This record gives sequence, structure tokens and C-alpha cells, in this order.
Amino acid sequence: MSASMVNNGLRSCDCHECSQMNELKVNTSFMNMIAGWHLSGDTIMIEQMPIMGGYVSSVEETAICDVAATLASFVLYNCDIHLDGPVHIRWGNTSNRECLQVAAHAARALDANTDVLLANQYYTIAGPCTEMCLLEVAAQAIVDTVSGRELLSGVAPGKGVLQDRATGLEARMLGEASSAACGMSIEAANGIVDNILHRYELNYHHAPMGKKFQECYNLDTLRPSQEYLDIYENAMHTISLCGMDF
Amino acid sequence: MAATRPLTVIDVYERFVKGKKVPENEWDYTIIPQNLTALKEKYKLKFEPGQSVPEDNETKNALFQAGLEMLSTVGFYCQDLGRVMHVTEEEIWEGIKKTPKKLILGEGRDIARFYPRHGNSPVKPIIQGGPTGSPVSEEMFIKIMQSYAQEAVVDDLVDGVMDTVEGKKAKSGTPYEIRATMQELRMTKEARTRAGRPGLGV
Repeated sequence: MSASMVNNGLRSCDCHECSQMNELKVNTSFMNMIAGWHLSGDTIMIEQMPIMGGYVSSVEETAICDVAATLASFVLYNCDIHLDGPVHIRWGNTSNRECLQVAAHAARALDANTDVLLANQYYTIAGPCTEMCLLEVAAQAIVDTVSGRELLSGVAPGKGVLQDRATGLEARMLGEASSAACGMSIEAANGIVDNILHRYELNYHHAPMGKKFQECYNLDTLRPSQEYLDIYENAMHTISLCGMDF
Repeated sequence: MAATRPLTVIDVYERFVKGKKVPENEWDYTIIPQNLTALKEKYKLKFEPGQSVPEDNETKNALFQAGLEMLSTVGFYCQDLGRVMHVTEEEIWEGIKKTPKKLILGEGRDIARFYPRHGNSPVKPIIQGGPTGSPVSEEMFIKIMQSYAQEAVVDDLVDGVMDTVEGKKAKSGTPYEIRATMQELRMTKEARTRAGRPGLGV
């Protein structure tokens, strides 16, 4: 309701976003929002994050659910873009091996058979100002780019639950890794992603929380700290060693 | 049978109202998992370990058919009505035809324009930068959003969730939720203006 208010509300050209429920569920409040936005000609983005290991068990079953939920967003709920985000029930991130596989298979299936606009969102387990967070972002950006997605949305570091632990540098990595992956063969991308995954997937139990925005940026100039820039450079170097040509 | 027209959310609501009553726990714990397992077996889906992205056409086409069949045979559940609605395969295809094939976000010189990227297109996806719903304090909100808006690779913004508004918890279902959302939008506008990109989409 507040998003649609005339003064300071969203414009029609902004994404009016609401979420399905897990799995293949909505409620009437969701449909009411959609009805208002649709009749007003607003841009609608519907989100759904299938939970791997929740009501659904294997990667294949989660991917089937993902395809069905995505089709429903367009066909039943009149959205313009579907925002995906398969998430692992144990780890709470979208950048783990299983969820990357679910997202990529669902996107490729939809991309090969339809023209719908597909987005994915980024929840890392590590926090900002850590190399692990940037590696997680890069791995997912490569997967999403080569599997044909049109929009990448992020990043929510530290599973998106820690206050003020998000900065523009994670989005820079998202954009740079995606640009570097454009046009790459799927076989090459799979090899690079596998190499990057090996660098972080054994660290989930001890994932670093990273630092708050206040510790990562100069609050007067709004420039990232030298410490974070060094970490960013190291992450780029690590990703290059994994086979990525920036 | 051909679909009469693409469905609207109003049509969907009508179908829910007339749909079969099903207990929510039966939907969650029986109907969803049993049907997904059956479809996985029917379409012989087995993802290759080590292949994050499928390298063959058979897998992606079988997966699409399985997802299509899941939606057309199992349907969708409405939690507060406690009912299931159904949609035919023809209606799904009719709805897919109606979806936008291109879109513009934002306005003025800051628009993000995108088209379908079939396969691994050399065209970069739109980068929507932001904390993606992460909690953000009132004090840091503008600065954090500006840190995204000032990045050259960012084409569009997604904001965080403000924890408090004027010191009060922005609790869901209360007037503070409305007030906090309005404040988020005002602050996001200020952030993109400070970054020199006032037209960026959100």
C-alpha cells in the first residue's frame, strides 16, 4: 500500500515486488497487491525462493518446483519479471553447490522453452569485507549469466540477517564476474565454478561474519576502505587462478 | 482445448474460491513432495554432479516439461482460503505468450533496458544492486544505498529493510510498517540523487 502512494511511492517503472510462499502457495493479500499493481500498469516482480531440503528434498525435485513456481508467476499472477533464489535450508545461502545447480537448471529449462524475463537473487553465507563472500558472489554470477538470466539482484551477505552488513563492493563483484562470464561456453563456466566452489564450500561451519558498512567505507567520502579494496583485489586474483579471464 | 484467454489474477481468485478444500499440511507434506518425486521419476531427471549448468538439451527440456506438468496437474494453493486452483496446459502457454519480452526500469538517462538473453548471450544481465532485503539501520540507510548507486556496474537498485523508524520497531502489520516503507523510498531517492543518478529504477 505504502509503495503505491502518490508522494514518494514507487514509480510505474520501479519493480513492485511481492513473494509467493513455499511451495506453490499464495494468500489473498498477495493477490490483492497484484490486482492493484496490474490494473495500475505498474512493473511487477514476483519473488519465490524454493527451499532445498524443506518440503522438497533433491536438487531435481527442487528444480521442478522452481520451474512450476516461475511459470505461475507469469501465467497466474501477471508478473513482468520472476525473481528466483533457491536457498539451502541448512546453510541459508543461494551460492551453495546444490542451489546453484537448481537455479541454473531451472533457468536453462525456462530459457530454452520461453521468452520470460528471469532474475536471481544473492544470499551469501559470509559477510562483507571477506574474500569468501566475494567468491560466493562470483560463482553464482557466472552460473546465472551463462544460464540466460536477464537480471541479477544483490547482494545480501551473511544470509541477509545481519544489520548494516551490505555494501556496494559486493554488487561490483556481481557485475564484474557477470560481465566476464558473458558469452563463455557452459563447459568452461562449469569448470571455473567448480574451482571457485572448492575454495569456499568447506568453510560454511566457520563462515566469517565480515564487517559492518561503517567499518568498510569512509562515511564522509563514501569510498571503500583500503582493507576492503585489498580483499577485493585478492578475490579477483583467486578467481583468475580458478580460470576466469577478467 | 484452446484457452479462451490468458488468465488474470481476478480469474485465479475466482478459481481459488470455487476450488477444492485441502488442509495446508496435506499440501505441504503429501501433495507437493509426492508429485515432485513422481515427476522426477517420470521424466528420468538426474542432474550430473559437477555440472552446475546443464550441458545437454535433454535435461533442460525434460525439466521444463516436468515443471509444466506440475503446475497443470497439481495446481496452486491459497493459504487463507485453504483451497486449490487448477490451470490447463493451454492456459499456461497462452499466459506465456502474454508476458513482456522486453522491459525498461527507471527513467530518463538512468533507464535500464533489457531483452531476453537466450543461452549465454554476450549482453550483460541487468545488475540490480542493493542489500536485497537485509536489515539496515535508519542512520546508515542513505549511505548504504548510495554505495550501490555510485557503482558503475549497477543498473538498478533494490533496497534493504529499515529496522526502525524514528527509533520505533517497524513491525509488520502496524502503521509503523507503512511509515518505514515510505521512509525507505524517500531515502533511496535521496541516495540515487546524491550519486548523480536520480532516475535509477528501484
